[in-house]
Amino acid sequence: MVETRDLSKRYGSTVLAVDQLNLKVHRGEVYGFLGPNGAGKTTTLRMLLGLIRPTAGTATVAGRAPGDPAGMARIGAIVETPAFYPYLSGWDNLKVIADYAGVPDSRLGDALEQVELTPRAKTKFSTYSMGMKQRLGVAAALIKEPELLILDEPTNGLDPQGMIDMRKLIVELGKGDRTVLVSSHLLGEVEQMCTRIGVIQKGRLVAEGTIDELRGAATLTVRAAPVPQAQEILTRMLGATAVSQGDGVFSLHVDAARAAEINRALVTGGVEVSELVAGQRSLEDVFIELTGTEGGL
Amino acid sequence: MNVVGVLKGEFLKLRKRPAVWVCIGILLLLLLAFGYLLSWIVFTYTKPPTGPNGLPPGVTYADLKKSLYPLHFIPNTLNGGTQLGGVLALIIGVLSQGSEYGWGTVKTAFTQRPRRLEWLAGKLISVALTMLVMTLLLLAAAAITSFVLASIDGGDRTWPDAGVILKGALAAWLIYCFWSFFGFGLATLFRQSAMAIGLGLAYALVIEALIFGLLAQFVGDPVRKVQQWFPLANAQYLVQSFGSATREGGPPPRPPFADATHAVTMLLLYCAAFVVLSAVFLQRRDVTS
Repeated sequence: MVETRDLSKRYGSTVLAVDQLNLKVHRGEVYGFLGPNGAGKTTTLRMLLGLIRPTAGTATVAGRAPGDPAGMARIGAIVETPAFYPYLSGWDNLKVIADYAGVPDSRLGDALEQVELTPRAKTKFSTYSMGMKQRLGVAAALIKEPELLILDEPTNGLDPQGMIDMRKLIVELGKGDRTVLVSSHLLGEVEQMCTRIGVIQKGRLVAEGTIDELRGAATLTVRAAPVPQAQEILTRMLGATAVSQGDGVFSLHVDAARAAEINRALVTGGVEVSELVAGQRSLEDVFIELTGTEGGL
Repeated sequence: MNVVGVLKGEFLKLRKRPAVWVCIGILLLLLLAFGYLLSWIVFTYTKPPTGPNGLPPGVTYADLKKSLYPLHFIPNTLNGGTQLGGVLALIIGVLSQGSEYGWGTVKTAFTQRPRRLEWLAGKLISVALTMLVMTLLLLAAAAITSFVLASIDGGDRTWPDAGVILKGALAAWLIYCFWSFFGFGLATLFRQSAMAIGLGLAYALVIEALIFGLLAQFVGDPVRKVQQWFPLANAQYLVQSFGSATREGGPPPRPPFADATHAVTMLLLYCAAFVVLSAVFLQRRDVTS
């Protein structure tokens, strides 16, 4: 549904906002575009929508070049804060969008209903709360009944309840055949909504995959003493690459089903095991490892 | 092509925008107040001045009042309404485009279906149609007022030829279109309203009106030869081509430096230049806000 090849954007001679980005979003998935602030997420999305011209590389969005009218007819988008005409009502704002998009007025009611804005449809946009503005943005993105939704930080500026509602709505919208590409710097949010994730850092895609793929293999955490003796037994048993240790705590990259076997080997070898926990790297660990930041957390 | 869709959306925006109606309302109010009612009150209820500042020999206020009657409503409206109306048309043109940048709605428009140039075409056509509405309202208000004043005085209620009315309407529309496209172009160039209005007004009030006005007084025709290629001078030539509504018996007005054909051609060229300027900037620039 979305594919980029070596997509790059340079501002002047010094700022390389997006650097040879190769992104692939498949039909029907909710793809999380994750990265710290300033990583190049918005610039990338703007290039996909034809708002910004790339310096190099190509992109195909909904089977067309970015900004192509036939492609745009199948795409709904919110880029950063939704922008509308403050003196018009929610309904009139959607009417303008529908006129632009060549969509019949009969779609307006459905779109407003879907985001639960019908009671305030005739009120001026300037009187809307942040959450209502965001929901009107989603309604505007939905009036074309798009196959692809591109949402740039859709929960930005929302209160906690608004964030929860918006995430639920995105999950709902992503059901079925519709593709959703959503950018965020919030790990928990992406984890809750997305089926696949791409991580961008300094304009480059540093990882891409499902959440499980990114977290990698399961781990066992073992606290054991004396440490040298435990290290020797574990290395002999599992191999050096599967064992890492810090502050007397071993991190073992093995299937959690081998916990009993490992415990028995350590105890038999004269090592005292005080803790043995099965687990997996959190997405936060992965994000910090990939980007070197704790962005959004 | 989705120009019709854009046009519908743009017309809805302009129709529901209070600033547009405030501008048109101010224009009507000022034209009627200063172009008709105050003059009529002065000519009806005061005595003419005497001495060097008095009326020419044999001329009375009753003669001057005739300029307020329907036969003269076209030159009267053009003389009184195109300069101030031009400034208000500039503001409408600026707001139509500059506010899109201020509110960040350019990205909203460009993420729908129309191509950038289709969006521009729809916007410019809607601005031109708004100028047509403004022109027709202005002429209608002037016509009705002149008729009412002539009726009160029992004066001449003869209307000018339909051809004169049509030409007058087209002339006023062209002048307003020039101003609004000028404002639109400036707003596209600066991607904001404040700078565009400021520079537009500075041009209108200082660069052409003041500088050329002063230079022409001292240097004369060489300056007027240069000035004939500038837009405000051509708007003035076009207005003057309808004759002066003022004052039968007064000194004959100075003839315009260039004729109406020259003026119309120049104004159309300026309109086209602002359309091209807007198109080039809109098409080439990234939308980053």
